[in-house]
Amino acid sequence: MQITLQKIIPVFFNATDVSRSQVWNQQVAFDEAANTHIIAPSGSGKTSLIHFLYGLRNDFTGEIKYDGVSIKNFDKEKKSTLRQQTISIVFQDLRLFPDQTVYENIAIKRLLSPFHAADQITAMASRLGIQNKLQQLCGTCSYGEQQRIAIIRALQQPFQYLLLDEPFSNLDEANRQKAMELIQEEATARKASIILADLKKIDYFKAERILHL
Amino acid sequence: MKLSYQHIKPFLHTRQHVASRWMGYIGLGLGVLLLLISVQLYININVLLKDKNPRKDGYDYISVTKLISNENMAEAHSFSEAEIEEIKSQSFIQDATPLLANKFLVRASGSSVLPFTTDLFLESIDNRFLDTIPENFTWKEGQAIVPIIMSADYLELYNTVFAPSKDLPQFSEKSISSVLIQLECYSPNGNAKIFKANVVGLSNRINSVLVPVNFLEWANKSLGSSSNINPSRIFIKTTDANNPELLNFLQQKNYNINKDKTKFGRVKQLLQAIVSGLSGFGVLIILLAMLLFSFYLQLMIARSKDNLQLLLTLGYSPGWLSKTVAKRWVPVYTGIVLAALILAAIFQWSFQQFILNSRSDLSPYLHWMVIIIAVFLLLLSIFINYRLVKKLLLKL
Repeated sequence: MQITLQKIIPVFFNATDVSRSQVWNQQVAFDEAANTHIIAPSGSGKTSLIHFLYGLRNDFTGEIKYDGVSIKNFDKEKKSTLRQQTISIVFQDLRLFPDQTVYENIAIKRLLSPFHAADQITAMASRLGIQNKLQQLCGTCSYGEQQRIAIIRALQQPFQYLLLDEPFSNLDEANRQKAMELIQEEATARKASIILADLKKIDYFKAERILHL
Repeated sequence: MKLSYQHIKPFLHTRQHVASRWMGYIGLGLGVLLLLISVQLYININVLLKDKNPRKDGYDYISVTKLISNENMAEAHSFSEAEIEEIKSQSFIQDATPLLANKFLVRASGSSVLPFTTDLFLESIDNRFLDTIPENFTWKEGQAIVPIIMSADYLELYNTVFAPSKDLPQFSEKSISSVLIQLECYSPNGNAKIFKANVVGLSNRINSVLVPVNFLEWANKSLGSSSNINPSRIFIKTTDANNPELLNFLQQKNYNINKDKTKFGRVKQLLQAIVSGLSGFGVLIILLAMLLFSFYLQLMIARSKDNLQLLLTLGYSPGWLSKTVAKRWVPVYTGIVLAALILAAIFQWSFQQFILNSRSDLSPYLHWMVIIIAVFLLLLSIFINYRLVKKLLLKL
């Protein structure tokens, strides 16, 4: 599936804000073969772009097309199918259920459209060092731990694109690398591409293309 | 493992407002029970108050007169041609015919067997309205003997009240026919014609002393005083004397009928009105219970809004979520309606067994209509619930 951006600009931006952008008001195409690294300073609309791509918001001009069909025309059911099968995400604000355990937070995503067997949840948690947190309430975990929970959750489903919005902001260097390694392995297993947006370049993310927002 | 309600249950705040949920359940149960019992009672009333008088041809024959009240005593109470036609034209009246009355003086006296004299009246009616037509119930001019059909009630009154008090002989239905009565008919100017008469038959239908139509027409013509030949009694033929439409028509026209014939109809009308009121009340309770339940659902969804929104963001479809959440109440609703149905069945059984002492004309089981209504209510509750949940979820 190809995603194309056709001259999109958030409605709350003006033309001068986007004049030097390689994404806003440009023709950009994403395809499954190549990872994209989007580098964006604060306030340049990084989270908005990720939300637009995920179909959470429509407050932009121009078109985002999934295989030629504008995402603005997707109804709620179609968006659900897209989110179950085609696109996965790690939100900058994580969006976890604070009153559920870590395991439940991950399992609720896996149950919807499982890519792995259930035991992979524990295996991934072990790789990222949170295996002893699985039965703890999510709301009581540190932000760094929650970031790793959100990453593991995003890897439970099939996808062709993985959207990452500052996914490692609260992780130390060692954990960042472990997480990146896991993410890239999982993307490769699905022949999927990663669209990672961050404030600055992440060296160990193997991206075929770098776009400045 | 297949995704089910159990998986998303922890994300819904179902444990709050338990009281309003249970009140909704109880209200729904009571409403459904009341409605089912009302429908069953309505059916019972129809079965029990069906006119069980033997009707040879499936029709009721009723005498209709104009109501004589203190206000209209002085007016004529006969029916005009137009009024008779109007009565005939009603859809619930299959046939109508006037009862002709004598317009001259009649005096009857018995022979030595029956030594008494009385003034009498005579009426005649078209033969198609008679329940018994003896072969010899005919008369032609010059015939000395006039056949009479008398109300069976009159013979009973004579035998039980009149005869013992006067020390007169009593007669059986057969022996009365052998008694010859002298019938003296006087014109206003004193002319008299004397006939012999005998009772050839007894009628259970018409409360009168009937003679053949052609005799009365001839006698009225040759002896009658008045030119007004409009009848004051009409006999109607109807499939159901208790038909509310018929009763309304008669009431509206101020016509008077034999109340005995229609007493079931009036009791039925009243009972049906009460039971309809009850079922209306049942429907109201169901609506209130549904409303209460919808408030509970709205509250639950409002309280679980963040979680539900996140589930939708993660890829849960609103269609699947509403179906799954709504399905959770299918067993609850089924249980409620089934419980109401069982209670209604117990009610009907007890009603037939204990109140009616196992009367054979009423079934101790629920009528199929009641079961259909229960199934309909169940499907309706499930459908409304599903639509409500879906609407609330799509709003998120």
